[in-house]
Amino acid sequence: MHNTDPNAAAAVADPVIEVEGLAKEYRVFDKPEGLAASVRALFHRTSRAVEAVKGVDLVVGRGEFVALLGPNGAGKTTLLKLLSGIITPTRGTARVLGHVPWERADDFRRRFALVMGQRNQLWWDLPAAESFRLHQEIYRIDPARFEKTRNALVDMLDVRRLILQPVRELSLGERMKLELVAALLHEPEVLFLDEPTIGLDVVAQHTIHEFLRDVQRRRRMTVVLTTHYMKDVAALCERVVVITRGDVLYDGSLAEIVDRFTTHKIVTLDFDEAPERALIERFGFPCEFRGPQVVLRIDRSRIADVLPEVLAAAGIRDVSVEDVPLEEIVAELFRSDTRAHAAAEAGS
Amino acid sequence: MNRYLAILLTFARACLVRDMTFRANFLLECVTSLGWMSMNLAFYLLVFTYTAEIGKGTGWSKEPFFAFVATGLIINSIVQAFFMPSAEELTEMVRTGGLDAVLVQPLDAQFLVSMHRIDFSSFANGAVGVGLLAWAVSRMDHAPPPVAWALYPLLIVCGVAILYGLVIMLAAATILMGRNQSLYDFWFYLTNFSRYPAEIYSGPWGGPLRMICTFVIPILLVVNVPARVIAQPFTGESWGGVAAAVIAAAASLVVSRIVFQRALARYRSASS
Repeated sequence: MHNTDPNAAAAVADPVIEVEGLAKEYRVFDKPEGLAASVRALFHRTSRAVEAVKGVDLVVGRGEFVALLGPNGAGKTTLLKLLSGIITPTRGTARVLGHVPWERADDFRRRFALVMGQRNQLWWDLPAAESFRLHQEIYRIDPARFEKTRNALVDMLDVRRLILQPVRELSLGERMKLELVAALLHEPEVLFLDEPTIGLDVVAQHTIHEFLRDVQRRRRMTVVLTTHYMKDVAALCERVVVITRGDVLYDGSLAEIVDRFTTHKIVTLDFDEAPERALIERFGFPCEFRGPQVVLRIDRSRIADVLPEVLAAAGIRDVSVEDVPLEEIVAELFRSDTRAHAAAEAGS
Repeated sequence: MNRYLAILLTFARACLVRDMTFRANFLLECVTSLGWMSMNLAFYLLVFTYTAEIGKGTGWSKEPFFAFVATGLIINSIVQAFFMPSAEELTEMVRTGGLDAVLVQPLDAQFLVSMHRIDFSSFANGAVGVGLLAWAVSRMDHAPPPVAWALYPLLIVCGVAILYGLVIMLAAATILMGRNQSLYDFWFYLTNFSRYPAEIYSGPWGGPLRMICTFVIPILLVVNVPARVIAQPFTGESWGGVAAAVIAAAASLVVSRIVFQRALARYRSASS
């Protein structure tokens, strides 16, 4: 692991999620190719163990907004399913709100919610208002409190006009907003979000970011989010846990991931007209020419020295200095892990 | 308990709203169901034009036999209305991961899995069953004694409980297998044995089959015991059948509960 939890102090003070050595192994049966092999497989199947989560340690404190990042198949969703008690681990321990999740105690299940971006949990043929009402019964929400919470949530997401329309007639973005309303009606202390913005347009993504940020702060809710969209992470999370191959590769603050895993800054120069290449290339940094715009990648250690010299170049109209995009950092983290794994396998 | 009843009523309300949204589909389901039942009743009427009794000395003459058929209709309509639509949907829920949403809710998973869909069109058969029972009993040579009327609803509940236990065990198999599209077919084949009087299972093949369907999978107790209580003279021997049905119902509920819980512990969930 590259880092230990920098929020450990806060997390230990009021831990809501405590995970130690949590692992989940699946037995996967191989499906042979061809008719004869398929018939043989009826009588003799070969299987292999796949470790979706390998001994994860994690502590999350009350009120934290944590992103679980990782490539497809890294084990993020499996970890969420373990923490919400949907599946039972092969080994390890976990306590969420003081409960062992897979014991599925009602008291535990009343205190958290799970929203999966790729699955619909509302009644498909009925208006969301019917699902909300059912939710009220299931979670035993006091009628007055239910009305108040529902009204507040639908107004925050501006979906009041949609709650009486059958869910199947709604767009993906509208459905996701109503899924979030349903999930938050019982005012959960912990919210697990599995790719909540998948497939949504930028406007819907932005609305959901604002909504989640607002609700999380007001309620001091603990949120664990899995996503492939770095916009979600940048907008919402202060802490990032990177998982690859079922193991935690990095656990730390979002600011630190940028600090630790980038060696340069991106400097964008806007000229009045396309500059001469030699003028820019003389600085010796990787650069990209886009007409009157030039993008330079300058070593972080040298930026203070080099920048005045760069800015002295004639004809500069505007300049911006930015960190490397989070997507790029995380992708490089995944790639470096893949390379390390391949090297270790070749060596063994 | 009140909470579960309130939730069941909420499910019922939601399902009724949905059925009314697709009215043509609802009416077609009622017509199909009633049509199939009418064909069966016509077939039994045809049988009774050739014989006065199903099996010599069994007591299953025309009216008692129709009371038997009515009892089967009532029990099956309850099971079809309350449990089968949910059980049928379970295959898809397991395959697509929809069961995940059930497991995170603070309710008994077995209750949610087996009762979240209610098929109101199945009550049409039950209503006809009640009418058929009234007709058959009013034309029988003997009137059922008060004890038979008192036991009849209890035994209907026992029959439903035995079938519910089977539904839950098939549902557990679905969870373990990840896909079980033959669930409904298997159910149909199994419950076929319960549709006829136990007396027809005799001889070198029928005898062992009767033993299996009474003591191993107690499917023969489902309709036979309540039908016998209401349609045959009530004697001291009838209490043996009553006790067997009550024990089988309790065992069916307990065993199916254990099997279902074990299956849930091994649930793998589908990839997202």
